[in-house]
Amino acid sequence: MRLDLRQYAKPLAESALSVLIGVAVGTLLVILAGYSPVVFFKALFGGAFRSRNAFLDTLSYMVPLTLTAISFAVAARASVFNIGAEGQMYVGALVANAIGVVALPNGVHQVVAILAAFLAGGLWGWIAGILKAKRQVNEVVSTIMLNWLAFYLVNYVATYHLYDPKAPYKTEYVRETARLPELIPRTSLTLDWVLTILIAFLMFFLVWKTSLGYEIRATGINPTAAEYGGVDPSKVISISMFLSGGAGGLAGAFLVLGRFGFITTTLTNILNWGFDGIAVSLVGRNHPIGILFSALFFALLYNGALEVQVATATGGKTGVPIELVLAVMGIIVIAVAVPGLWDMVQERLLLRRKRVEVREEAAGTVGGE
Amino acid sequence: MAEYAIEMRGMVKIYPGGTVALKGVDFAVREGEIHGLLGENGAGKTTLMEILYGTRSPTEGEIFVRGRRVEIRSPRDAMALGIGMVHQHFTLIPVFTALENVVLGDEPVRSAGLLDVQAARARVEELMDQTGLHVPLDEPVENLSTGERQRIEILKMLYRNADILILDEPTAVLTPLETKELFAFLKRMKEEGKTIVFITHKLREVKAITDRVTVLRRGEVVGTVDTAEVSMEELARMMVGREVLFELEKKPREPEEPKLTVEDLWVRGEGGDYAVKGVSFEVRGGEIFGIAGVEGNGQTELVEAITGLRLPDRGRVLLAGEDVTGARPHHLYARGLGHIPEDRHRRGIILEFTVAENSILGLQRLPPFMNKWGVLQESVVRDWARKVVERFEIDTPGIDAPASALSGGNQQKLIVGREIMKDPKVVVAAQPTRGLDVAATEYIRRTLLRMRDEGRAVLLVSADLDEVLMLSDRVGVMYEGELMGVVRPEEVTLEEIGMMMGGVRLEDIKGGGAKAEAESTGG
Repeated sequence: MRLDLRQYAKPLAESALSVLIGVAVGTLLVILAGYSPVVFFKALFGGAFRSRNAFLDTLSYMVPLTLTAISFAVAARASVFNIGAEGQMYVGALVANAIGVVALPNGVHQVVAILAAFLAGGLWGWIAGILKAKRQVNEVVSTIMLNWLAFYLVNYVATYHLYDPKAPYKTEYVRETARLPELIPRTSLTLDWVLTILIAFLMFFLVWKTSLGYEIRATGINPTAAEYGGVDPSKVISISMFLSGGAGGLAGAFLVLGRFGFITTTLTNILNWGFDGIAVSLVGRNHPIGILFSALFFALLYNGALEVQVATATGGKTGVPIELVLAVMGIIVIAVAVPGLWDMVQERLLLRRKRVEVREEAAGTVGGE
Repeated sequence: MAEYAIEMRGMVKIYPGGTVALKGVDFAVREGEIHGLLGENGAGKTTLMEILYGTRSPTEGEIFVRGRRVEIRSPRDAMALGIGMVHQHFTLIPVFTALENVVLGDEPVRSAGLLDVQAARARVEELMDQTGLHVPLDEPVENLSTGERQRIEILKMLYRNADILILDEPTAVLTPLETKELFAFLKRMKEEGKTIVFITHKLREVKAITDRVTVLRRGEVVGTVDTAEVSMEELARMMVGREVLFELEKKPREPEEPKLTVEDLWVRGEGGDYAVKGVSFEVRGGEIFGIAGVEGNGQTELVEAITGLRLPDRGRVLLAGEDVTGARPHHLYARGLGHIPEDRHRRGIILEFTVAENSILGLQRLPPFMNKWGVLQESVVRDWARKVVERFEIDTPGIDAPASALSGGNQQKLIVGREIMKDPKVVVAAQPTRGLDVAATEYIRRTLLRMRDEGRAVLLVSADLDEVLMLSDRVGVMYEGELMGVVRPEEVTLEEIGMMMGGVRLEDIKGGGAKAEAESTGG
C-alpha cells in the first residue's frame, strides 16, 4: 500500500529503452525517405521548446490526453476495456458548451458546466458498465457503439440547436463567465491544466487509498476473490465505468471551456483525443503519475510534429510529408506501449499458471492413521 | 537382461524461477516390480517422472532403460522405449468417445488415410479382455466417471505397448472400491511382467501394493527399501523427516445450540443441473461437522450456497438462528461467518495484493478499516496485518510484500488467520489443508480444533478422509449431491464410510436401523 519508488525504476528504464528503439527504427524510415534524421528528430523532440508559446501550448495538450488516459485507466484497473473515452468526451463537451451559453455568474458558471459535463460523460460510461455488469455485453463493442451515438448526437445538437448564427459551422461561443481563466495571459494554458494534475492525484487517492479503489483493483485482478471478499463485481464495474466516463466528460468540458470555447458541428476540433488517451494510459502503465509523464511525452511529440515539417523544408525542398511524421510517431508510440502491454499479458499468463500449479499440488497431505 | 528396467542417475532439475526440484536423485526400478515413489507435495516425485516421460527436461543427469543409456526428449521417445505415464490430470478429449481417445495419435489407418474403426475396436476390445479394464467404448468421455477415464488413460498406454507404466497419484480421484479394482489390476499387470512406478503420498497404498519404495524428500532420495521390511511409521518418518503426529488431541466437548442450520438445500451447479439435492444438517457451537466424499459430489456448490457465493434454488440457511438464505458474502461476514475457501488462489487471496491488503479482504468496508468518507485507514490496516502475521506465525518478508511471495502454506495461514481474527461464530473451512506441507497442515488443523473448543461452529469440507475423521465430531458423507448418512467417526468403520462415498446409504448399510443420534439425510 505504500508508495515504493523502486517499483517505478523498471518501467522507467523500459520506457526509455523503448523510446530509443522507436527512434532507431524511425531513423531508418526518415533516411529511406531522404531526409536528415538529425534535423527530423531535433524538430520532433525539440519543437515544443522552440518558443514560450509553443511550450505552454504543449503543456495544455496534456489536459485532454491526461483525462482521457485516466478514463481508460480507471476502467482498466477494474479490468474493463473502455474504448469509449472519445464518446464520453463528446457528450462532456456538448453539455459544457450548452451550459456555457446560458447566463450564470462567473465562478458558478464554470463549476456548473464542469460538474454537468462530468455527470454526462459519467452517464455515457455507466451505460456500457451496466450493460456489461447485468447483461454481459462486451464493453469494447458497446463503448465503440456509444462513441458513434455520441458523435451523431453532438453533431445533431450542434448543427440544429447550438449553432452559431454568425458562423453556422460551429457552436455558439460559451460566455466569458464560463471560460476558464488563463494561467498566463494570452496563452492556451488555462486553469484546467492545474485541475487536471489535481484529478490525476485524485485518481491515485481513489484507487489506492479508498475502499472503493480497493474493490476496483480486487475486481480487476481477481473477480472471484473479490466476490468472496464481499465485493459486488457488477456494482464495481458500473461505478468504475461511471468514473471513467466522468473523466472523459471532463476532457470535453476543458477543451470547450479552456482552449476553444466552441465545438465545430462536425467535431473536428475535439476529435481523437479519446483514442490517443488509450495509448497515453498504456505507456503510463494505467497509473495516474505515469500517465502525467506519458501525456507530457505525447504532447511534446504532437507539438514537435508541427515543427518537423517546417524544419525539414530547406532550400526550395518541401518538408517531410505529415504522413511520415505520423508514421515515425506511431513507431515510437508502439515501441513505448509494448512493455506495458507485455506486462499486462504476462500477468494474466502468470496468474493462470499459478492457478494450475495449485491444482496440481492439490492432493491432501500425509495419509495417516 | 539388465537388472533394472529403469535407472536414473544424478538427476538435477532447476526450474527457470530458480526452484531446485531435484538435487541429484538416483532412482532405479527393477524389471517386473511395482515400485512406489513416496513423498510429500513438492518432494519432486512428479518432476522426476515427468523427466522420465519426456515432458520435462532435466538440468543434469543420465537415464538408462534396460541398461542402455537413452535420451528422452518427448513422450514420443518415452513411448518408443515402452514407457507410458498416466498423469494426475487426464489428457482426454471430452467430446471424443472412449475408443477414439484410446487410439488417438496412433490410429490404425486403411489406405487413403481412412481410420480403420474395425481394426481399432478389435484391438482395444482384445486389450480390455486381457486386462479386465472395461469401459463403454462408444460413450463420449465427458459422460464417463473419473474411474472410467483413468482406465481409458491406462488403456491408451497399453495400446501403445507400454511395459513400464508410471501412475501419478492414481487413487486421488477414486472411490475406495475403484481403488481396490485398480490395485487388483496392477497386480495382474505385474504378473504379466510389466513394470510399474506408483507415485503416491499415501502410506497405506504403499504398503498395500508396492514391492519396493523410494522415498523422496525436498528433491533428495531418503532411501529405497523393500516394502515388506518397513512399517508405516518408518515410512512416514522417512517422508517427513520427523515423527508425524497422527493423533491430534481432541478434548471431549458438549456441543451447544445450533449456529449453522441447513434445511433441504437445493443448489444448481455450473451446468444447470442440481449439484446439491436436498441437503439438511446443523452445526452446533463447539462442534466440528465434517463433510466427506469424493470431490465433485456437490461439496463445492454446498459451500458456495452457504457462504453467499451461489444462490440456492430451494431450502434455507440459518446463521445463528437468522435466515440468511441468499444473502451476499458481506452480509454474512457482518453476521459472524468466516470462510476458508477451497481454492485459495481463485477465492481466498489476491496474489498481486500485499499481505496487508489481503489481510482485510472482506473487511474493507467495515469500521475501523474504513472511515465514514470511504477512505481506508492505513495505520489500522497495517496494525491489523501485523497482528495476523504475528499471531499466525506467517513467514513473510513483510506486510508490504505481495502475497505471491509467500509459500502456499503461509498464504493459507494468512487466509485462516484473517478469517479467525474476524472472531466468527461459524467457520466454513473447505479443503483447508490442501497442498500444504505437514507442518502447515498440522497448524491449520490445530487452529480448527481450537475454534471448536472456543465454542464456535466449524463446518469442515475435505476430500482428505483421514482429516475429516480425525477432526470432526460428526461426519456427513456426500454422494451425488445428497448426504448418504451422518455418523460419529468413532462409531463407524472405514469400510462403511467408503461404501457411503460410493453411494450406499447409511440405513442400507446398517440394515434399515440408522443410528439414533445421527440425523438422517433430508430430501
